[in-house]
Amino acid sequence: MKVKVNDAELELKAGTSAIDAIFAAGYDVPYFCSQEYMSPIGACRMCLAKIGAPRKDRDSGEWIIDEQTGEPKIFFFPNLMASCTTAIMEGMVIDTLSKEVKDAQNGMIEFTLVNHPLDCPTCDKGGACELQDRAYEYGAGQSRFVFDKRHQEKHHALSELITLDRERCIHCKRCVRYFEEIPGDEVLDFIERGVHSYIGTLEDGLPSNFTGNITDFCPVGALLDSTSRFRGRNWEYDHTRSSCLDCAVGCAITIDARTGRIERIKAARNTQVNNDWICDGGRFGHEYVDADERLKTPLIRRDGKLTPSTWEEAAAFINDKLADLGAKETGIILRADATLEEGVAAKALAAQLETGQLDHFPRLAASVIPQGVRATLNDVATSDAILVLGDVSEEAPIVDLRIKEALKGVTPPELMPHGVPLADLRLKERMPRQREILTVASPYRCDLMKHAGSTLTYPAGTEVELLASLLQAANGEGEISEEAAMRLGSSPEQLNDLLKRLSGAKNPVIIYGAFVLAASEASNAVQALAKAVGAKLLAIGPMANSYGLEALAVLPSHARYSVQEMLRGSAKALIVSGLDVAKDAEAAKALKELELLVVHDSFANATTELAHVVLPAKTAYEKEGTVVNLEGRYLPLKPAPVENGQSEDFCGLVKFLGETMGTRLEGRSVRSARRLLKKRLQLDLSELSEEGYLSPAKAKAASKFKLKESYELEGNLLLTPSMIRHEQLSRNAHLHAVYGDAALRLNPADAVAQDLNDGDVVAFELQGIERQAVIKRSEAVPVGLMLLPALPEQPAALLWLEPTKLIKAAVAEVLA
Amino acid sequence: MSVLDIAKGMGVTLGHLFKKPVTVRYPDEPVDIKPRFRGRHHLLRHPSGLEKCIGCSLCAAACPAYAIYVEAAENDPNDPTSPGERYAKIYEINMLRCIFCGMCEEACPTGAIVLGHEFELADFRYPDFVYGKEDMLVGTKGSKWQRREAQAKNEDVKLGFKAGPRPELEGVDY
Ligand code: SF4
Ligand code: SF4
Ligand code: SF4
Ligand code: SF4
Ligand code: FES
Repeated sequence: MKVKVNDAELELKAGTSAIDAIFAAGYDVPYFCSQEYMSPIGACRMCLAKIGAPRKDRDSGEWIIDEQTGEPKIFFFPNLMASCTTAIMEGMVIDTLSKEVKDAQNGMIEFTLVNHPLDCPTCDKGGACELQDRAYEYGAGQSRFVFDKRHQEKHHALSELITLDRERCIHCKRCVRYFEEIPGDEVLDFIERGVHSYIGTLEDGLPSNFTGNITDFCPVGALLDSTSRFRGRNWEYDHTRSSCLDCAVGCAITIDARTGRIERIKAARNTQVNNDWICDGGRFGHEYVDADERLKTPLIRRDGKLTPSTWEEAAAFINDKLADLGAKETGIILRADATLEEGVAAKALAAQLETGQLDHFPRLAASVIPQGVRATLNDVATSDAILVLGDVSEEAPIVDLRIKEALKGVTPPELMPHGVPLADLRLKERMPRQREILTVASPYRCDLMKHAGSTLTYPAGTEVELLASLLQAANGEGEISEEAAMRLGSSPEQLNDLLKRLSGAKNPVIIYGAFVLAASEASNAVQALAKAVGAKLLAIGPMANSYGLEALAVLPSHARYSVQEMLRGSAKALIVSGLDVAKDAEAAKALKELELLVVHDSFANATTELAHVVLPAKTAYEKEGTVVNLEGRYLPLKPAPVENGQSEDFCGLVKFLGETMGTRLEGRSVRSARRLLKKRLQLDLSELSEEGYLSPAKAKAASKFKLKESYELEGNLLLTPSMIRHEQLSRNAHLHAVYGDAALRLNPADAVAQDLNDGDVVAFELQGIERQAVIKRSEAVPVGLMLLPALPEQPAALLWLEPTKLIKAAVAEVLA
Repeated sequence: MSVLDIAKGMGVTLGHLFKKPVTVRYPDEPVDIKPRFRGRHHLLRHPSGLEKCIGCSLCAAACPAYAIYVEAAENDPNDPTSPGERYAKIYEINMLRCIFCGMCEEACPTGAIVLGHEFELADFRYPDFVYGKEDMLVGTKGSKWQRREAQAKNEDVKLGFKAGPRPELEGVDY
């Protein structure tokens, strides 16, 4: 369609909003309520423009012609129009520059400011506030209203993480719409009417895992991040765009640091990955970085005590020991969120030491790179049949949001010259959702089930059976029997429906996580099923770079050299990065026998207690590097200026070791690692775009699957992935206040049987690891099952735990 | 040039010879300072005793010499430091960087920071030039060095100047 904005003529698609036409033409109107990815509602009346269009004669069907000019006559709307809710028409004329429009903008700013307090000097939004900017650009500069302003509550803690200043709210409704439209948790709304209306919740707190996003887009300082309250002004922060490493999604984030501390994390835009959203775990989970007890200098054990030292001394010390030992017996363990560059460095070091004992952890039984057609996150958002296996909302929270995007049935918006459209007219408030396209199967009732058309709670450990039955039916090798379906907590109709939906869909996607990856049979079965029904696959790896490290083959040369074996004595010397492996009592025993234990970590823990050398490590926010997310997308990491003493990443460690050995190892710096990766990948990682690079899918043949007689997947305790990084929770005060200690969730019936009450603290040993948890009764957990958050050292798995071994903490103290 | 001209010139010289000298025997005698002279900063208080500074960092943003560092925090509602929610937990000015331009005073929305008359800021060590809140809040007299000196000698701080009143310097008493 042809439209004319002031003097610019442009050709746009039907359905575009007038505000987007204005921005596409390079003009500007002020706006407060429009927000990318959300429905336009025309609440703020700020985007007024003079809009007109030609008309056709009713009888002749011809354009009505202006007699003077001989051109089609433009009929202007009688009033100025909110351009965000007006769709363009053929030949539309939009005027944003006339005096009439300017006066209206002045007037609207004046109205908005009538009740807005003069808080700018103390408001955390100051300097990055849309109202400030718009009042400056479009306002008259002074107000004629001299009466008292409205008074309302000034610091209402919506939750431990978010502070609401009700006086500052300009009623744009972005936050209200956000909760309904994006995560689908309706937790906020307007209360009262007119000038008295304010934002509030029904209950206390915000029961959602995506609350922090409202602080990013609230146009004023009404909703603010409590963790960074008064910590700095917007112009004082160093903004670093990087990627979040808290889960396998790798959302784009902006790290705001000041004087060497991370004060807050905001969501950044990646239209391919997270749109504009991040989860609360990723946003608020950074406080540990600035904890006082952070390790900042290398330590060497001398006379039984760890004493401060330098990297050079530490490297020389390690080198001496390794020389005595015959380096071949050395093992290297990386955490699975190490960057690709660190992976290269580790591989180079392993090659130099001629050892095959190299691995990353957590690493589950099956490969995180799906064999078959890989799905991207945008595939998920445009899918018309989705099967989810597991609890994605906790494992990879943004996948949960992208699934909910698909439920709206609106494809991701096409980018315009000014980026994501400001007002996508296809989106509506309270849209009907096509829940029927979503099937969620999990061993317990998970959050996403509320949004699914069909849900299935199967007994934990029966993933293989479930997938095998589906596969059989899909291949026409046998009906699903009533009895088998019952065993899986389902019915033949439900499973057949699911199959029909998947195979009948244009773009079906199967999403699976840790519960499937924990058994290679289950993973093989899901890949075979995807092939049979023509679905794409999205596998959620345990950590941010599980995909990348596996693709780079940071793997042992032989199965007998896996992490588990290294921790059971296959290595004589060990270099461990980022994992508290000594949590496991049996591993700790083996570690004590080691000739040399080098620990590369940011905090002291049980493993550093045993270490001969402790080297300070950079956290995810301080590294430069690249990770590969669950879709196979290379994403850049940029270092934020954090005061971290002498911390180094693994590349730094390899550099110092290499120097003492007298060689220049590949991966001794990020640059050197990238040189090697460039040869390997034909991709220059230093020039990676902000949105990353999707590695070309190698459509490998799906692996063969044959149902064996029996699988030993049994247990009564399921370690579940969680959005919160429990290992750092004690150092994340704000998150801790909201989410509390790790919980052991179990069915009320079981709790009664065990005489356990909500809030009881229990201590127990789980496969050698001492765990403590708070009892939480929950109907979401089936009888006979317990749920406990996984740790990096104890990834998702199904285990046995005698309920009698649950010792209430008070009793445990007495026993001790 | 004629003899007359020389005589005229000498006349001027002679005239000055018998005038009262303008030289001040500083530091034994105080110098007279004009009311708008810009010297060391004062952080002022409201008559209620609360600090005027609300920790907004606007002075730091305006400072052309990057001499100011402010770190704010939330007031304890039961025992507030300043009116409102926010106060300056740390407020520092590096007097070595400061060029006494007065921009900070201009930027301050509450009139909390005002350049006073003290100019005797010489000191020995670099860190001693960083003035914190306790060095600038009203009631503190003299530079860090002057106060150290006075304490060592068990005397009052002696300022080397006299100044006329300036209304912006509310509560400052030289
Ligand atoms: S709190 Fe902020 S986002 Fe919500 S309606 Fe008010 S101004 Fe808009
Ligand atoms: S979804 Fe994952 S990557 Fe995104 S913010 Fe949360 S933890 Fe970080
Ligand atoms: S007087 Fe000028 S240079 Fe000195 S602190 Fe104030 S703004 Fe900065
Ligand atoms: S002195 Fe004034 S400008 Fe500076 S932080 Fe305090 S209130 Fe703000
Ligand atoms: S009415 Fe608010 S942006 Fe259009």
